[in-house]
Amino acid sequence: MPLPAFTLHRPRSAADAIALLDEDCLAYSGGTELLMAMRMGLIRPTALVDLKRIDELNTITLGADRLLIGAGASHDRVAGDALVAEHAALLATAERLVGNARVRAQGSIGGNICFAEPRSDVATVLVALDATVLLQSASSRRSVPATEFFLGPYWTAREPGELLTAISIPLPAPAGVYLKFQTVERPTVAVAAVALPEGGYRIVVGAVGDLPVSADYAQLTAVDAADLAARVEPVSDLTGSERYKRHVTEVFVRRAVAALAGGR
Amino acid sequence: MRLTFDVNGVGQQADDVWPGESLLYVLRERMGLPGTKNACEQGECGSCSVYLDGTLVCACLVAAPQAQGRAVRTVEGLATDSAGGLDHIQQAFVETGAVQCGFCTPGLIMATDDLLANTPTPSDAEIREALAGNLCRCTGYEKILDAVRLAASRRTEVTP
Ligand SMILES: Cc1cc2nc3c(=O)[nH]c(=O)nc-3n(C[C@H](O)[C@H](O)[C@H](O)COP(=O)(O)OP(=O)(O)OC[C@H]3O[C@@H](n4cnc5c(N)ncnc54)[C@H](O)[C@@H]3O)c2cc1C
Ligand code: FES
Ligand code: FES
Repeated sequence: MPLPAFTLHRPRSAADAIALLDEDCLAYSGGTELLMAMRMGLIRPTALVDLKRIDELNTITLGADRLLIGAGASHDRVAGDALVAEHAALLATAERLVGNARVRAQGSIGGNICFAEPRSDVATVLVALDATVLLQSASSRRSVPATEFFLGPYWTAREPGELLTAISIPLPAPAGVYLKFQTVERPTVAVAAVALPEGGYRIVVGAVGDLPVSADYAQLTAVDAADLAARVEPVSDLTGSERYKRHVTEVFVRRAVAALAGGR
Repeated sequence: MRLTFDVNGVGQQADDVWPGESLLYVLRERMGLPGTKNACEQGECGSCSVYLDGTLVCACLVAAPQAQGRAVRTVEGLATDSAGGLDHIQQAFVETGAVQCGFCTPGLIMATDDLLANTPTPSDAEIREALAGNLCRCTGYEKILDAVRLAASRRTEVTP
């Protein structure tokens, strides 16, 4: 089924892309979410801005105390990048497990979080890593913590005229484990368990509810898996009932904590 | 719009392409290349797998204008060396009985080609991971795994 008509712009710089973006003119990165949403008539942009030819959005660089990942970098690119492996290994682990080979090659990290589909591996890990996202419009530039960027399903703090240029991960990034339960295309439950550089531990439960749920603990033994499972708000669907998903959440939190305690 | 791109090593042009067409539609309906299959149009089944500038993509999730000036390789373009014959992955699928109705086969063969290009001797876990997202309704997958193992063993014989 063809999509409704639109104009396609192909800028070579982020500045040119930003000048075009508005409510009816959307960024087109890998298209793995966008084209489906357009085909289903959920969104009807009159124009798209192809980001794939903007080299500056595809760079991964190391700053003094941050790792900067360009919004256009594909899941494969992030998963295989040496800087990510060295400084934010947890993100590489999660990116290797996204969707399938085509989605990893075609889909971008920026498209993943801008679409804000709740069942996201990326969102779960970015909250665990205290990441911030960099948003740029024609008149402003701002940095928003991941926890404030995600507002709900398919809803973020990004304004229509803003381009997500990069994701910024403060260093040293916490290390830990990432576990998920997935039977179909997208995760049912995702759990990141990390040891924080300043001491203490953080557990993030994602994909199962509308937003990732994050909790910090002084000791790993203080993590209450049942309490976390009670705090998520799963949606009953074909991958399970609410009760089942809470159960799986509790099990995966316990497994993640055991794996972190075991040094795996 | 006019779309100019390379398909299986040959420069091609399509006129009056509607910007809302997918690359899958252009390949099947305008280029007359029905090997790339159309099933879910949602990125979930892998039947439409092609290479776009060497990257394995779902052709159903690529807007046709995005292929402008780029190179596409489809299942029809795999067996270039052996005049009309099959390439070694296709041959392995035939020999192991990994093809039943055949609808999923082109996508699986493209995904296998991509896997073996990057990982010439994959473990079973790597094969499963690479082919996750290529759905087959007929075979139960066991014979597909056999086909990939056979193709991998032959590839390592050819290029030690
Ligand atoms: C079959 C399938 C399986 C999947 N499995 C998983 C999974 O297991 N885990 C997971 O986390 N995800 C999964 N996904 C989602 C996948 O990660 C996303 O589809 C992909 O990362 C989105 O990136 P994209 O570049 O294709 O975005 P696009 O589709 O190009 O864009 C998505 C949205 O974000 C906007 N946008 C994109 N980039 C920018 C930018 N830089 N600035 C502003 N706005 C922007 C677009 O306008 C659009 O509204 C799956 C998807 C499919 C189709
Ligand atoms: S038709 Fe493209 S993935 Fe199913
Ligand atoms: S052989 Fe029929 S779908 Fe795979």
